Amino acid sequence: MSSSTVHASAAGHPQHPFLKKVDDIKPNKSDMNFVIMDYLVTEGYQKAAQKFAAEANMDLTGEELESIHVRAEIKMMVLRNDIQNAINKINDLNPQILDNDHALHFALLRLQLIRIIKAVTAQPNMNITPALKFSSAQLAPRAAIHQEFLHDLELAMMLLVVLPAPIETLRPELAELLKPKLRQDVARRVNEVILTSQGKRGDARLQQLVKLKTWAEAKAREAGKDLPAHLPLGLGDEREGHDGGEPMVS
Amino acid sequence: MEIEEGGRQARFAGAQKNHDEAASLRADFPMPRQCGIYYYEVTIMSKGKDGRLIGVGFTGPKVPLNRIPGWEPESFAYHGDDGQMFNNNTQGKPFGPKFGTLDVVGCGINFRTGQAFFTRNGVMLGVAFKDLKTDRPYYPTVGMKKTGETLRANFGQDPFAFDINKLVEAEHSSIQSEILQLKPLPDESSLIHSLVSQYLAHDGYVESARDFSGEVRAETRALHDDEDAELGYLEPEEDVDGINRQKIRSAILEGNIDKALKYTNIHYPDVLRENENIYFKLRCRKFIEMIRESSDLNTNIHPPTPPSKRSTASNGHANDDYDFEMELDEQLGVHNGVGQWGADNMDTEDELDDGQTQAEIRLLENKTLEYGAELSSEFANDPRREIKKALEDTFALIAYKNARQSTLAPLLEISGRVPIAEELNSAILVSLGKSSSAALERLYQQSEALVTELTDDGGPGAFINVRRDFLQ
Repeated sequence: MSSSTVHASAAGHPQHPFLKKVDDIKPNKSDMNFVIMDYLVTEGYQKAAQKFAAEANMDLTGEELESIHVRAEIKMMVLRNDIQNAINKINDLNPQILDNDHALHFALLRLQLIRIIKAVTAQPNMNITPALKFSSAQLAPRAAIHQEFLHDLELAMMLLVVLPAPIETLRPELAELLKPKLRQDVARRVNEVILTSQGKRGDARLQQLVKLKTWAEAKAREAGKDLPAHLPLGLGDEREGHDGGEPMVS
Repeated sequence: MEIEEGGRQARFAGAQKNHDEAASLRADFPMPRQCGIYYYEVTIMSKGKDGRLIGVGFTGPKVPLNRIPGWEPESFAYHGDDGQMFNNNTQGKPFGPKFGTLDVVGCGINFRTGQAFFTRNGVMLGVAFKDLKTDRPYYPTVGMKKTGETLRANFGQDPFAFDINKLVEAEHSSIQSEILQLKPLPDESSLIHSLVSQYLAHDGYVESARDFSGEVRAETRALHDDEDAELGYLEPEEDVDGINRQKIRSAILEGNIDKALKYTNIHYPDVLRENENIYFKLRCRKFIEMIRESSDLNTNIHPPTPPSKRSTASNGHANDDYDFEMELDEQLGVHNGVGQWGADNMDTEDELDDGQTQAEIRLLENKTLEYGAELSSEFANDPRREIKKALEDTFALIAYKNARQSTLAPLLEISGRVPIAEELNSAILVSLGKSSSAALERLYQQSEALVTELTDDGGPGAFINVRRDFLQ
């Protein structure tokens, strides 16, 4: 028995025919476990992957564990803004990776520059020489070759002028540079590039599945299919938006 | 018109009376739009004596069959005599080369793009018709005009001259990359974190859930390190139900049904009462586990191959939980020989000599029979057909000296434990007022249902196989 039938009938609302079709699809437990394990391995959640292998009785090879371990380390370095070590670690793993992906290398160096700029502008004497030095040694030569990097470099250098200042007072594109989201995005790109360099899928099936639903729902609505106004997943804090009047569906 | 070879070959036998008269053949069934791209081929066996007015194409259901295809509304064709394409007009438009005897002509529709294309001798000629209305049926149709013209159709019974799979695969990849290149939702990573942790908690993977949230928290902390932001993280509450459900699940996965029954009765006393079918399945499974046990012992006395380690019961938890189980037994004053028997025996079986083992087997076999009698008296009067059938299948196992080598061996597979464990877990969740399916499952179900909606009318869903493309 599915919960949606329970809730819909309990609330006295007739169930939307599409939800009946949803209920009629029976997920396969081992598919679901695969998707979870694939996510934990791809995203480098080492402990959780090991525990899940034990609890769900799944295989996790030593090679996979090693790959998770290294990628998790690098990810944490990028998130922590410890870029120099992250770059070294990536080069230890495979020097080709950054050689082949100039944009990613530049993005990492720019994170490092932003960190230096934040540090020097926070000091009372505002000695900005280290930032200028790093920029002209590491970033400027690359931006000279790749014109498309120039704008990104200029934006970062603008921080030298405006900082220190509360992040809320900055132009949105400058504020972006100081938000953790930027490091998250670069960390994800690094992880993806390492995985593809090892001949693996760069993103997890779960990410793809989320995209599939978004895409399929948009296409189906576009084609005028008869769908309920919302298709919540039942995560409690329905981010898909709810208007309160709908019966709870999952 | 003469039809031969099970309806696949046709020969124009009539004499042409007036200029316009021809004969068309329409396939019995329309092209199924759900297949995304429909394709068929026709081989011109003979173009007849004095001409080659042969048309290959497709038509709607109401198009008259006494004219060559392409001249009527809803009739589309490529003609052999001039290589032109025709739709709703006796005047064609230049399209491809002429075709004649022994040429293979292919016709296909891509229902997603609403385009029709033709091939000749395995070579793509290109798109002939665009903006086809895909809300109506089209039938493969061929037409002939001259005496002696003979065609042979291939609807996939034989290999095609044109590599249609490559085309379908290309279509599939282009849709796949359209999906994967979607910009991630703004809150994608937090959505995915919630999906994963909710799944782990929901399904009772307690330790995985704990470690996962720990690792996610460590990431967030790393991200905010340099800001010294006060991030008041609450340690997640101990999920007592999750732990209990995980214990029950692992008991079943280890084959220790008694332990699972015991825990369930302690923590969720109503569940088995209210879900009698699950109770019944557990009882049957216990019987199966007993037979597995004796069958294992038998194998150890007369090993066809060196005795395999009993890895089946040791998925890492058997020993951790063992002490607790003993304690629990004492608390409850329960003494049921068989359930513990398996666990007890694990470490020592290698040291047993045959005599002892023989005795063990006899003891176990007796207990199995006793248990079987108990089981059958409890459910023998149950009128439900599935229960009767399950009982019969299960009891049939006793008939074999070594059930492992019988046709019923699949019943003994360890994998049979999984669905029971999941069913019981769901029933417990429902009894707790929680959803029986996790949000991740809902995500999959919704995606699959949406893709089906996009398949039925020949939409892009036809090129997606959710399980193959997204779950494996």
